[in-house]
Amino acid sequence: MNDTENLESQVTGRYVEVKRFAVHDGPGIRTTLFLKGCPLSCIWCHNPETISGKPELGFHESCCIHCGECAKVCDCHSVSATEHRIDRKRCTVCGKCLDACMFGALELYGKTITPEAAAELFLRDRMFYAENGGATLSGGEPLLQSEFCARLLSLLKRDAIHCAVDTSGAVPWEAFERVLSCTDLFLYDLKSIDPVRHKEFTGCDNRLILENLQRLDATGIPIEIRMIQVPGLNMNAEEIARAADFLAARKHVSAVRLLPYHALARSKYRAVGRRDTMPEAASPSYEDLERSAAILRERGLKVIHSLELADGK
Amino acid sequence: MEFGRFEQDREYLNRKFQNPEFDPSTGLDNETLKHQTLALAEELTALPRPVVKARCFEFIARNMRIDVNPHDWFPAFGCYDRFDRPLTPVLDRFREEVCATKVEHRELWEALKRSGATNIWIDFDHSVPDWEAILPLGFPGILERVRTYRKKHESQGTLTPRAKAYFEGMEITYLCVLETLDRFRSLALRNADGSGRLEREAECLRQLRDGAPRDTYEALCFVYLYFMFGEYVDRMQVRSLGNLDNLLFPYFERDIASGHFSESQIRELFDYFMMQWASIDNYWGHPFYLGGTDAAGKSRINALSYLILEEFDKLSVPTPKIQLKIAANTPDRFLDQALKMIRRGNSSLVFLGEEGLRHVMTGLGMTEEDARNCDIRGCYEFAARGLHNSNETACGHLNMLKGIELVFHNGTDPGTGLAVGVGTGELDELRSFDDFYRAYTEQLAKIIEDNILCVNDFERFLDEINPANFFSATILHSLETAEDAFSRGSYYNNTTLLNAGFGSALDALAAIREFVYEKRELTLAEFREILAANWAGHEKLRRRILNSSRKYGNGDESVDRYADQLSRFIGTRINGRPNARGGIWEASAHSARQFIELGEKTGATPDGRLAGEEMSKNLSPVQGADVSGVTALIESAVSIDSGCFPGDFPLDVMLHPSAVAGDEGLAAWRTLIHTYMAHNGLAIHFNVFDAATLRDAQQHPEKYAGLQIRVCGWNVRFVELAPREQEMYIRRAERIAP
Repeated sequence: MNDTENLESQVTGRYVEVKRFAVHDGPGIRTTLFLKGCPLSCIWCHNPETISGKPELGFHESCCIHCGECAKVCDCHSVSATEHRIDRKRCTVCGKCLDACMFGALELYGKTITPEAAAELFLRDRMFYAENGGATLSGGEPLLQSEFCARLLSLLKRDAIHCAVDTSGAVPWEAFERVLSCTDLFLYDLKSIDPVRHKEFTGCDNRLILENLQRLDATGIPIEIRMIQVPGLNMNAEEIARAADFLAARKHVSAVRLLPYHALARSKYRAVGRRDTMPEAASPSYEDLERSAAILRERGLKVIHSLELADGK
Repeated sequence: MEFGRFEQDREYLNRKFQNPEFDPSTGLDNETLKHQTLALAEELTALPRPVVKARCFEFIARNMRIDVNPHDWFPAFGCYDRFDRPLTPVLDRFREEVCATKVEHRELWEALKRSGATNIWIDFDHSVPDWEAILPLGFPGILERVRTYRKKHESQGTLTPRAKAYFEGMEITYLCVLETLDRFRSLALRNADGSGRLEREAECLRQLRDGAPRDTYEALCFVYLYFMFGEYVDRMQVRSLGNLDNLLFPYFERDIASGHFSESQIRELFDYFMMQWASIDNYWGHPFYLGGTDAAGKSRINALSYLILEEFDKLSVPTPKIQLKIAANTPDRFLDQALKMIRRGNSSLVFLGEEGLRHVMTGLGMTEEDARNCDIRGCYEFAARGLHNSNETACGHLNMLKGIELVFHNGTDPGTGLAVGVGTGELDELRSFDDFYRAYTEQLAKIIEDNILCVNDFERFLDEINPANFFSATILHSLETAEDAFSRGSYYNNTTLLNAGFGSALDALAAIREFVYEKRELTLAEFREILAANWAGHEKLRRRILNSSRKYGNGDESVDRYADQLSRFIGTRINGRPNARGGIWEASAHSARQFIELGEKTGATPDGRLAGEEMSKNLSPVQGADVSGVTALIESAVSIDSGCFPGDFPLDVMLHPSAVAGDEGLAAWRTLIHTYMAHNGLAIHFNVFDAATLRDAQQHPEKYAGLQIRVCGWNVRFVELAPREQEMYIRRAERIAP
C-alpha cells in the first residue's frame, strides 16, 4: 500500500442517490452516483431534488400515516390527521425527524461522502461490470463538485473501472480539465441549440455549453450527446437541424441519444417543496422521436432512443 | 394429414382435461373404476405388492374410458382426475399397512407436522425416466429389456422371490401398455371416418405398440403416453418431459430433410403437445428443459430449441414451464428470445447455470459428465441421468423460523405446546448474540435430526408403499440390481430436505442482534411477550424493525455473513448423511408452497412478521426487504456457497420494466445472469412489472387475462390470485425503483 492510500481526502461530495444496476447511463451494467447541485433549472427537470446544492429534506406524502412521531422530535413538522406541514424556512436538515419516522416518509437528499467511500460503493458492483459496464457520475451537475469527481475517478481508474461523466456542460472549462484524464466517456446534454430558447427552458443561455463541447471534442474523448425531447418545446425541425449541423461538425460524438420527456417526476417536486415547473406536454411517440432522429441521421450522426430499442410491443 | 386447424381445435384442447367428456360405451366411470380396483386389490392381497399394483394398473387401463378425438393428435385417458386417481385408494391402503406395522416414529412425525417444525410426507413426485435410452427402445423394447434382465438374474441365481415379483410387476404393466395402445388404435380407426389425422394417429399407435417411435410426431406421442400412463395409471409423478430440443432433434432433422414433415407442421405438433399440459393446468406446472453443453464444450442450443421457445411464447400459457440450461457459450440470441418473453410477462421460464451445476454435483462426488447431462426436473431440481440415473425424493420442509420460536420457549413450540425442540436454557442465560445464535442452531439441528430419523424410518419401505413398476423398467441400473428404481434401484438414491423462511430467519436474527444485544432496547423476555401478543401495542417497534437497513438481500455484510454461516451449518448437518435407500441426504434451498403453509403454523417473529404470515421463499429475501437493487440482491445470494444446497439453490428476482427496456436492457440483463452463474449461482427466475400495471390488472382483470406471475418455480395468472396475494406482489413492485 502506498502512502497516498492512507490519506483520506479533504474534499467530500454531496449526493442524492446511488443507483445500482443502472442500464441507461452509459454502456453495460453501471452504478450511477447522482450528485447534488446544478447550475441550470430546467423546467422539465426530472430530478428536482438535485437542483439545490444544499441538503434538503424529502417528504413522501404517500408513505405518511400522520402518526406525528416526527413532530415530537422537531417542531418544523406540524402533523394533523389530514395534513403534514414542514416549515422549510426553519428546517436545518438536522436529521432528527429521519430517525423518528417509521414509515419511510422522510428522506435526506444531500448526504456527504468521501471519494474513498464512494469508490467503495462502485467497487461493490464490480463483478457485474463485465467488459463494458462501469461507473457513471451524474446529478445534478457532477462537475460542480469537480474536485471530488476528480479524486473519485482517479480512485476508480486504479481499479481499471470504465468511467463516464454525465454533464450539462454548464461549468467552467477548468472543471472539465480536472476530470479529463480519468474519464472514458462523456454523456453531454444538449437541451436546445438556440441560446434564447435555452435560457427560457433552463435559466441560462448555451454559450458556455457549446464552447465546452467544442473544447471537449478536441480532447478526443468519446462523447454521447443526450437530447431531451419535449413535444411542443424543443422538437421543431429547424432547431433539431441546427443542432445536427453543430454536432456533425464535431469529431468525437459517438452517438446522439434522444430522451423522451415524461412527466413522472411531479411527486418529487412536492417531496422537496419546490414549485412544479414540469410542462404539461405529452411524452413523444415513436414517430415523434423518429422525426428528430431522421434529421440527425441525415448528417451522418448515430442516433439511439429508448422507444426504438423497446421490444416493439 | 390435417394441419392448419390449431386455432379451431384449441377450444377442445382447453377443455380436454378441464371438462372432459367420454363415450360411456368405452369403459367404466371413474367412481366404479376406483371401487372395482380396490376390490381387486383386496382379492389379490396374498400376492406381492408389485404384482398387486400391476394387476390394478391392468384393470384400470383395460376398463378406463378412452377417447381419440379428431380435434387432437394425442389420445385421451378417461381415468384422468388429478384429485382422485383410481389407484389412490389401493396405494393408501399399502401406505397405511406399512405405517401401522413397520414405521416406528409415527408420533414424532406427527408432532413435527403439527408444530410446523418441518413438514414431511412420503414423496413419489420426482420420477424421470431415462428418456434418451427409452426413446430408441419404445414400449415393446422396454418390455424386451425387462425380460432379458429377468433371464439374466435367473441364470446367475439372483432371481430371489422379491426380484421375481419386481420383474413380474413390470412385465404385466408393459404388456398392458401395449394392449392399451391397441385399444386406442382401434378406437382411432373407428372414429376416423375419413379423418386423415386420426388415420395417422392410428398408425402412430400401431408403431408404438410394435416398436420405437420413428418420427417427431411418434416421439412426442411416446413422451405424452409415458407421462399419462405414469401419472394417471401408475400414479408416480413424471417430473420432466426431458430435454426436448436435444432428445427430439434427430427426429426433427430427419423429418425436415426427408420432407416427411414441414417445419410449420412440426411447430403445430408442438402446439398440440404443449396444450396437453396447459389443459391439465396443475398449479405447480409441468416442466421440460432446453439447452446445455456437449462433451466438446459446444452449446446444445439448436434449431429446435428456438422453435419450441417460439411456439411456447405464441401459446402464452403458464404451463408447461421451461427450464433453460445456460452457460457462457449460450448464444445471446437464444437468451434474448427468452428474456423478451419474460419482459412481456410470459415468464414461465427459469435459468439454470451449468457452471453452478458442475460445482454442486461434482462436490457430491458425481462426475463432470453427470453434471453436464443432468436432468432438470420439477421446478429447478436437478439430478444425474443415464447410466448414473439419480432418483431424488423430497422429504421434509424445514421451517427456518421455528428454531427462533423454540429458543424463545426453551424447546417448546408456543403454538401447540409440543416439545419439538431442545432445552437451550432460560432467556436471561443467553448473554450475547453468539449465545442466541448457538441456541438457534441447536434447535435447527434437533429438527433436522428428527426429520432424518422419521424419513429414514419410512423410506426403507418405499417399494412396498408404491412399487415403481412403470418407472423401474426405464432405468438400467434398476434392472441390473433388480431393485425398485424409486427406492434403491437408481444409481444415486438421494433424499432432499427443503427449507422455507431462510431470509426471514436471517432478518429475525439481525433484529435480535440489533435491538436486543446492540441497542439494548428490550430484553429477550420482553421480546417473547411482544411476539406472544402478535405485536399488539408495539407497532412502532415493529415498524422500526421492518425499516431497519439490516436485511438480508441488500449486500449488507453484517447480515450476509450469517447467510453464509447458516448455509454451512445446514449443509454440514444434512449433506452426505446416509438415507435409508443406500443414498445420501442433500440440503435444498427450495421452498415449494411451504413458505405459505409453514408460515401459517408459525407465530409472530422478531423480523416484524405477524403470526401466520408467509415467510420468505427459496434463497430470496423477505418480499420487499431487498431495497438496494438487483446487484445487491445477487451480491447477497452469492455470498452463499451453492455447494451447501446441492438439492437446489433458487433465487427470485423482480425487475422494473424500465431497467430492462431496450437492447441495452437486454444486454445488461444477460450480463446479470452470466454474473450470477459465474459465481456458481444455480437457478434464477424473474418477474418484470411495475406497480401501476399490476394495480390496473387488479381493477380490470378482463384486460390482463394473459398476465403471468412467477411464484416459486411455477407460474400463475395474476388475475387468478387471491386479492391478498395480489397485494403482496403490488407492494413488492412498488419498492423496486424505476
